[in-house]
Amino acid sequence: MSATESFRSIEDTVRATHGRPGPAYWIGLALAGGVAAFGAWSYSLIVRTGLHWTGLQRPGMWGNLITDFVFWVGIAHSGTLISAILFLFRARFRTAVYRVAEMMTVFAVMTAGLYPILHLGRPWFAYWLFPYPNQRELWVNFRSPLIWDVFAISTYLIVSTVFLLVGVAPDAAALRERATGWRRRLYAVLAFGWRGTDEQWRHYTRAYLFFAAFATPLVVSVHSVVSWDFAVSVLPGWHSTLFPPYFVAGAILSGVAMVILILVPLRRAFRLEALITPHHLDMLARLIVLTGLVVTYSYATEILLALQEPAGDPERSTFLYRMTGPYAPVFWTMVLCNCVGPVLLIIPAVRRRTAVLFGICVAITVGMWLERFNIVVTSLSHDRLPFDWRVYVPTWVEWAVTAGAFGWFFFLFLVGLKLVPPVSIAELKEEAAHAPAGAEEATHGR
Amino acid sequence: MAVEGRVLGMFAEPGGAARAVRALRAAHFEVETAMPAPFPEVIAALGKPRSGLGAVTFSGALLGLLAGVLLTVGTSVAWPLVTGGKPIVSVPPFVIVVFEVTVLVGSLTNLAAVVAGAALGARRQATAARLGATGDRIAVVASAGDASGAGRILRESGAEEVRDVA
Repeated sequence: MSATESFRSIEDTVRATHGRPGPAYWIGLALAGGVAAFGAWSYSLIVRTGLHWTGLQRPGMWGNLITDFVFWVGIAHSGTLISAILFLFRARFRTAVYRVAEMMTVFAVMTAGLYPILHLGRPWFAYWLFPYPNQRELWVNFRSPLIWDVFAISTYLIVSTVFLLVGVAPDAAALRERATGWRRRLYAVLAFGWRGTDEQWRHYTRAYLFFAAFATPLVVSVHSVVSWDFAVSVLPGWHSTLFPPYFVAGAILSGVAMVILILVPLRRAFRLEALITPHHLDMLARLIVLTGLVVTYSYATEILLALQEPAGDPERSTFLYRMTGPYAPVFWTMVLCNCVGPVLLIIPAVRRRTAVLFGICVAITVGMWLERFNIVVTSLSHDRLPFDWRVYVPTWVEWAVTAGAFGWFFFLFLVGLKLVPPVSIAELKEEAAHAPAGAEEATHGR
Repeated sequence: MAVEGRVLGMFAEPGGAARAVRALRAAHFEVETAMPAPFPEVIAALGKPRSGLGAVTFSGALLGLLAGVLLTVGTSVAWPLVTGGKPIVSVPPFVIVVFEVTVLVGSLTNLAAVVAGAALGARRQATAARLGATGDRIAVVASAGDASGAGRILRESGAEEVRDVA
């Protein structure tokens, strides 16, 4: 296949993803939208009639909603990891998968950002969290980790969105040439006047490098900041210097698992098998192995350090409570999903079977949600005051709001898929031009 | 022959386009290109200096750093309420906010710089920009008096199509 034919093939394959959606797409969209709407209605019960719809009671005043927040921030992580960090390391396998990961990041941050606001109880006062001039000269407390969150999440959302849109510009320009009607206008806007001149590329490639350089420490900072929501408190099970790296590794683990969960059906539904190959899934599975081992090491460190404390120590007591108390099923399911699942992927035959890989990624996603629940809830339920201990059990309303997050995320993603090219056309063309003749798989994104 | 003596060559392969650019530059033609991807060999053949966008982005990041410091320190001093027994100006927590604001303003400046750079680039290379090449081929435009010489070089380098352009 000549370079021109390869370029056309790549462009046609990507263009086809923006074709008329089939019934499966509409059913998926309706299902996701329905779940999101049910979650929103359930939340409206809390707003309209009060917190009695939740299982929140002293001392457990953080429950599912904060768990959802931490979980979705974690999901948002791997997009920028795959996009920015692997770009800086020149990992070529990122080319075919990073756009999906970036889209996932933006939509996951949009989901995560909602949940602390929903948790506020009076979400209409969320703007109080931002520093703005006011007549009483009140300013936010910058020493509070909750304000660090506001800055970290807002910055992450803006930078991730900009990073996504900048990457899309050359692809939108390519699609613009043969598009008609509203799509042509949309691509023209997304293309930012892109014509592909060498002067444009000269600035663009430099700017992209800087975006990656900004995004990389930002990724690490955002989940570190989220971990400090817990770590700077004095609660047993939270007050740990291990938290930032532990959270970052867990975030990457859950994020990569979600990328695979999206890619596997996506490549089949949109016939992208030639661009997103088993090689890409294999490389992502290796990332899961790496981060899964870091997470396992973190679990072991946390537990062993706590268990070496003398009997009666609050830290030791909290960890024994997690492992043997009423939340023990949550703890051990988490260990099974997040430690055993990734380790299975060390075996090449396991990670190369798409159905098995998909199943393990589902397990990791469940496991990572349980990990967040385990951190948020069990420590609060078993604080330093034994008379205060209480088991928090989420109500159906809280489960509905949690499910609503998944509905909201997949609704946004399905809409986004029809507006933004799900793989990078320009970068695949660059690779295709340099692939050895006849190496079809290499031509399409290895 | 075109009025301004510009010749366009369309290439399927970046290697051929890079050869043409090198030969045209050696023959003292002015060269503009447009391509669907940043082919490194073509960019290297053009021999242009690295984009100066970094200086703008760095200035933006510095501005963000300054804004972050002013925001955290200034507002804390303006509302000096002691919380948790911590100093009014607590450097470690403020560093987090300052870092985020630095990244935010630096990134937005980078965005503004690349959009401005792209617009200026399109204006400076009007012919290549007008022809555009975002699809499947690479456009090389040579400008100079000797259009026939430019056309010969483009053909010899493997251009699939050579024609005069205004």
